[in-house]
Amino acid sequence: MIAIIPVDHFLIMTLYAVLVSAFFALLWREDRRERWKLFGTLMASLVLGGLAVAWLMYPFPR
Amino acid sequence: MSSEAAVRTRSPWVLLALAWVVPGLGHYLLGRRRTGLAFAAIVVVTFLAGISFQGRLYSVEPGQPLTILATFAVYGSGILNVAARLFSDNPGGAILSPTYEYGCAYLLTAGLMNLLLVLDTWDIATGKKR
Repeated sequence: MIAIIPVDHFLIMTLYAVLVSAFFALLWREDRRERWKLFGTLMASLVLGGLAVAWLMYPFPR
Repeated sequence: MSSEAAVRTRSPWVLLALAWVVPGLGHYLLGRRRTGLAFAAIVVVTFLAGISFQGRLYSVEPGQPLTILATFAVYGSGILNVAARLFSDNPGGAILSPTYEYGCAYLLTAGLMNLLLVLDTWDIATGKKR
């Protein structure tokens, strides 16, 4: 799989966000529409939150 | 088989054990087949990604109390953890790999996901959740 997924921080983070969002959307919601809604919310929160934290850490490389 | 029928014919403890050993099996046996298969796919992909990223299959180390929690989380993956320990060349992971930390996070997450599925299976089997 490492050959399929390049060592790219953003890609690995996004894959993680997809898996975790799908998991909790299936676990916490029963309705199909509600599941997609929660999936989108979690996905956006994880990816945008990760980017925000990365941006805040940018001035502190070490 | 409906959820009610499954509860009548199977002990919640048996379902609990099966749900732990095979990710998604608890939901599958409770009649939530598509959801169970989706859960199985998510946990397996997460675990395999963790192995591919050369993460660590934690074991308890003396003087390192946090490894107790990490070991508990990794063992949550059930048969995946056992198989990986049996067949992996390097269960300790590759700490110098650039993806090592990612691999550890994926492996821990897969185990914790499955433990949540075990608890969810228990709630459904005992009627606490519909």
